[in-house]
Amino acid sequence: MHTQDFPQLASIEAIEQGFESFGYICSPKIATAVYLAFQLRKPILVEGPPGVGKTELAKTTALLLDVPLIRLQCYEGLDEAKALYEWKYGKQLLYTQILKEKLGDLLKGAQGLAESVERLHQFGDTFYSEEFLEPRPLLKAMQQERGAILLIDEVDKSDYEFESLLLEILSDYQVSIPEIGTIQAQVSPMVFLTSNNTRDISDALKRRCLHLYIPFPSVELEERIVLSRVPDIDEQLRHQLVEFVHSLRDLDLKKSPAISETIDWARSLLLLHARELDPQIIHSTLNVLLKFEDDINTAESALRDLLPRRAYG
Amino acid sequence: MADAAPSQAMQRHLVSFVSLLRSHDVRVSPAETLDAMDVAATLGYARRERLRDGLAAALAKTPAEEAVFHHCFSRFFDRHLADFTSTREERSAEQDAVSTDALSTDALNTDAATENHRASVEQLLDEASRDDAALAELLATPLLQQLRNNDSTALNLALGEAAASIGLSQIRMFTQKGQFTRRMLDAMGEEQLRRTLARLEQQDSPALEPLRRYRDILREQVRDYVEQHYLLQAEGQNARFMDDLLSRTRLSNLEQRYLHRVHELVRQMARKLAERHARKRRVYRRGKLDMGRTLRRGIANDGILFHTHWRRVQKNKPQLLAICDVSGSVAAYAKFLLLFLYSLQDVLPKVRSFAFSSHLGEVSDLFAQYPVDKAIELVNWRYGGATDYGKSLQDFARLALEDINSSTTVIILGDARNNNGDPQLDIMRSIYQRSRRVIWLNPESRRAWGTGDSEMLRYLSACHFAAECNNLTQLERIVDQLLKMNR
Repeated sequence: MHTQDFPQLASIEAIEQGFESFGYICSPKIATAVYLAFQLRKPILVEGPPGVGKTELAKTTALLLDVPLIRLQCYEGLDEAKALYEWKYGKQLLYTQILKEKLGDLLKGAQGLAESVERLHQFGDTFYSEEFLEPRPLLKAMQQERGAILLIDEVDKSDYEFESLLLEILSDYQVSIPEIGTIQAQVSPMVFLTSNNTRDISDALKRRCLHLYIPFPSVELEERIVLSRVPDIDEQLRHQLVEFVHSLRDLDLKKSPAISETIDWARSLLLLHARELDPQIIHSTLNVLLKFEDDINTAESALRDLLPRRAYG
Repeated sequence: MADAAPSQAMQRHLVSFVSLLRSHDVRVSPAETLDAMDVAATLGYARRERLRDGLAAALAKTPAEEAVFHHCFSRFFDRHLADFTSTREERSAEQDAVSTDALSTDALNTDAATENHRASVEQLLDEASRDDAALAELLATPLLQQLRNNDSTALNLALGEAAASIGLSQIRMFTQKGQFTRRMLDAMGEEQLRRTLARLEQQDSPALEPLRRYRDILREQVRDYVEQHYLLQAEGQNARFMDDLLSRTRLSNLEQRYLHRVHELVRQMARKLAERHARKRRVYRRGKLDMGRTLRRGIANDGILFHTHWRRVQKNKPQLLAICDVSGSVAAYAKFLLLFLYSLQDVLPKVRSFAFSSHLGEVSDLFAQYPVDKAIELVNWRYGGATDYGKSLQDFARLALEDINSSTTVIILGDARNNNGDPQLDIMRSIYQRSRRVIWLNPESRRAWGTGDSEMLRYLSACHFAAECNNLTQLERIVDQLLKMNR
């Protein structure tokens, strides 16, 4: 993808503003990484706790550039037949059947075996050709004419073998198919890989990527995010709830509430017409923020310390 | 990409920054260094934070590395420029003066007075040099010119050049500081100043005092500069030296405060081994085309082969059962062994862990649930006590014997000291027969096996492999061997 085609990515400020117009508030660090990935044509490996907007980043970039988002969800056992390409076996077998019928015509009047083989060779070999190729996400991303955003989600869930498969694609934006040859991307797609750190990604893969770690946002940033997603919420309440979520993140929890949960909570509070955070309302909506019974218990017992004293009167 | 190529000096700066990162255990490949240069060229040097974020994206590959990166970045690029205006003594005196009579005297007045004084000193020097050719020559050198004009840019440049010429980045130990300071001063041409001073001292010249002041300023700044470099370079080196030392120390001697470092080492090792192990075990999930079935299914469609059938490859997932002795006799090692177990469970998919002393229980859940310190504490508390191998093996057989099959590896970590109880060798035998491999790692040295109440020699007959293991290097070697045997 070239700069002149996408003025949206021409500068870091433009990216920040562009993202904001699609409701994705990002830190300068994120914008810098996207800018660099675009300028240097390198994939970005996005890491961070679940729910900080890793996948959302790729989606928003696709919206911003108005190019298709091609998503590959990784899982254990994902292989090239599902990620890269597959032969249309059914069609291929049908083709051989048709070929069988044509064979008589083709070989009519041939003198001896040598000539038959000679004629067979002249016959176009389409059995392994792009017509019988079923593109899977990775190959599809290479074939997009205007470029694409390729999102390889949760790459840590895939096997090591799959990572090696990605290496060629990520460094040269090309795919090797033994029967056909190398297919080069016409317009190299912009690649986002996300990882939840369930295992370490191999060095070879990391080396080919820019690395972006998205931590939980600061209070100010998160307030801006809530503002853009839930604009109707009262300013004071917004501040209170973000502060409260931040103090929850300091607790020893199995799963800390993520940004998406903050937004969900803000929406629920809005629905319940809450004016202010009080123990009552927190008690009844805590299950929006926390997804484990243990965590809810921990948070409730610490509630007195987390809330401003006046809430208790 | 920005068209302006980064200046040579900046490139060199980046390279030395990368080598600093490397000394702090951030692995940066040459390709990444090139990436970093591209990043710098694209972003420009105008905005620090931007450059920092960009370089972090190219160079740091984990959150931990990013933290180190930020530390190094601020250390490296925030280096204060040396200030050659005054000696430290003068500065502290000035501060005192400011603090005492900040209210009473006019600050402007003092400034003007210092200015006047300085001018007269310069005049004094010029006058003295008129009758003294050597002094005049000294004053004409660039070093003195810069000092007298207080040309901070030129002086800082000279500092940088001197550092590059003597290889200051090689500094590793604090004992080298003096030597490097001396060599820095020589490289900057301080020798001439020193000689002239020695001569002037004998003559008791009026130029002595101002010259001596310049020398002191220069020495102080060079010393600070070397100190800064030492801190920057040596930090990472010392950490690495420490790691090396730790991996050779006997596990029982490791102090509590190094335990977390060891934990990290063990984790690294376990991960490395797991990776190496995993890479060799290539399994194709979809096997070859099953022609027979494909043809048979095709009969219904008049011989047209619509559906393909593939032979499936049975994936033999290796299972690992690890049993750890946490009794008093191995108390010093138990912590480490558990640590190893914990890390192993962290990195390998199918590990079940057991702990025992008088009785045995499964601790996999504990390990999965709690952070390492807490888990180890809990295990010690729950299963610690006097050793009874016989009873524990019975427990183990009850819990896990059913699950042991030809793809199971059983690792036992313990000293085999059974307090003269029944060793229950027959259970050990049946484990031996059922499993793929039984491995015994004993923290005692081989010579002590079988002495006293040690049942090691008897158990040895029911092990495929037994080894002495009491430091990290040994452990790594053993595990490595085991993985090789596996193939």
